[in-house]
Amino acid sequence: MAEIRLAKLAHSYGNGTNALKPLDMTWRDGGTYALLGPSGCGKSTMLNIISGLLKPSEGRVLFDGQDVTDKDTGARNIAQVFQVPVIYRSMTVGENLAFPLVCRRVPTPRIKARVEAIAERLGLSRHLNSRAVALTADQKQLISLGRGLVREDVSAVLLDEPLTVIDPQMKFELRKILKDINREFRLTMVLVTHDQNEALTFADTVVVMNHGEVIQAGTPQELFERPATTHVGTFIGSPAMNFLPAVREGDRVLVPGAGLSRTAPADLPTTDLTLAFRPEHAVAGGPLAGTVTRIWFEGADQVLALSVGDASLRIRAVAGAETVGAIVRFDVPQDCLRLYHQGRLVA
Amino acid sequence: MKTLYLALKYLAIALWSAFVVFPFLWALTTSFKSANGVTGGATWIPWVQYEPSLQGWQSLFGGVGGINVVKPFYNSLVVTLSASVISITLGTLAAYALSRFTFRFLWMRNSDITFFFISQRIMPPIVLAIPFFLMLRSLGLLDSLPGLILVYVALLMPIAVWVMVDFFNGVPRGLDEMAWMDGCNPITTFWRVILPNALPGLVVAGMFCIIFGWNDFFFAFTLTFTETQLLPVAIVSLNSSVTPWWSLSAAALVSIAPLVVLAFVVERFLSKGGLAGAVR
Repeated sequence: MAEIRLAKLAHSYGNGTNALKPLDMTWRDGGTYALLGPSGCGKSTMLNIISGLLKPSEGRVLFDGQDVTDKDTGARNIAQVFQVPVIYRSMTVGENLAFPLVCRRVPTPRIKARVEAIAERLGLSRHLNSRAVALTADQKQLISLGRGLVREDVSAVLLDEPLTVIDPQMKFELRKILKDINREFRLTMVLVTHDQNEALTFADTVVVMNHGEVIQAGTPQELFERPATTHVGTFIGSPAMNFLPAVREGDRVLVPGAGLSRTAPADLPTTDLTLAFRPEHAVAGGPLAGTVTRIWFEGADQVLALSVGDASLRIRAVAGAETVGAIVRFDVPQDCLRLYHQGRLVA
Repeated sequence: MKTLYLALKYLAIALWSAFVVFPFLWALTTSFKSANGVTGGATWIPWVQYEPSLQGWQSLFGGVGGINVVKPFYNSLVVTLSASVISITLGTLAAYALSRFTFRFLWMRNSDITFFFISQRIMPPIVLAIPFFLMLRSLGLLDSLPGLILVYVALLMPIAVWVMVDFFNGVPRGLDEMAWMDGCNPITTFWRVILPNALPGLVVAGMFCIIFGWNDFFFAFTLTFTETQLLPVAIVSLNSSVTPWWSLSAAALVSIAPLVVLAFVVERFLSKGGLAGAVR
């Protein structure tokens, strides 16, 4: 278990494009982190740099203050679970779990005890003597995870989209196991995913990435309430945040024709402004009005698409009798209205 | 409909089996015939259609006008197995390196180097006869088992490299990365993780090496005189002005016997699921 620090880390592959733009980041010991972003945003690159499969072009990687940039993968004592289950096919489940300890020349009785304990915890005890290839995909992922857990001193467990190939039913179960294990073993865990749901439910801190850049790192709550950019606002939350082009008039910023407005900070530029709010933050009744253009049923809730003036936006409301074409009155509290300039959060 | 399909299937298999088994049967009956039996038309049933004779088999084991096949058989076994083991060992190591690490030699990259290995087999063997002869002579290894083993390694290694590069390319790289993470170095990764997964490939490569090595006549003939004789050369020396079909048939059976055994062993291994699930 270790604190992981990335100092001025950057990476570019041979062709000159920056897979990872320079960044500084510290991941505390025992924390759960999620790297969230679309495919090709650099999250897997970052993971491979931490595990040592890739050498960064710039910057250092530190585990508990120790520079490990030049150490190879084995010496870093990292466990990684890949997207597609990787297991040693020539071995049984038990041999798979024992392998990292065998490689590290741990005495046999100790290995046996450790493997049995971890197999018990992961529910693999029954399968210890089965051939690992015979197991299902989610059990194979558990073996991958188990190979990390058998090492008591493992620095961190890196999860590279481990749930992608798992059945939806098992996904939920496996995610719960991961979370429980994090709590029990107090492991530093880093999950790479493009699924916001997975990221927000798993991690204490979510790191949103795009084009090789960290756009925002914060708690799920922070990402939801105060997205640093319009990109984060669109990426996180379902339905996405409402972004409405706005103009500055004196000391106020307003969306023309929609009636939405808030006070403008003193040094605010006059162009490229956007007002934004979460569909969840709209409250029923109030000075604003829009025509319902579409309704999505979501159980106790419904999402209404409204046209307000020239703008179209979505609000979440308690399921009711609204029909397409009806006029709906609503309001957005001032403290829920975010202001963006050139796509970045201003206030 | 289903029975018809089944019947046709078995008919096809029966026809094919007859096609395959017939030459063996022919060789087997001929090996127990004398000159009269051979020229008396196609006959199959001993004692009824022809009088069986051990003449053919006797001439293989020091009989009159024959040879002794034991020494050449032993020589062939030693040369083929040694050369195959060396080729597979070196070839597998080379193939793993070519599959996993990046090499540059002048303008050549991995694929060029792999092709360089295979290109050794594209050349007609006759081109190599004189160079090999001169090389073995300067080493003092002409007409000796070590000399033949050396030459056969040169001939068999390309096959091993070729088969194994392809096989290692099919073993996912993620397995190597996982092994590094679990604390393996490149050598233990190869030995403990990749090689057990490549076992079917080893079997296939080994089979090819043994077949090619065992059957080679050309180099066994051109690089030896009288001391070191391999089985194919010994069999040819049986021939005389009157072709002794009976001894040649017996010799043919002796020379294919090890390959038949090999075929059964390999078939067992492959059908047991050795190949199944080896690669994702």
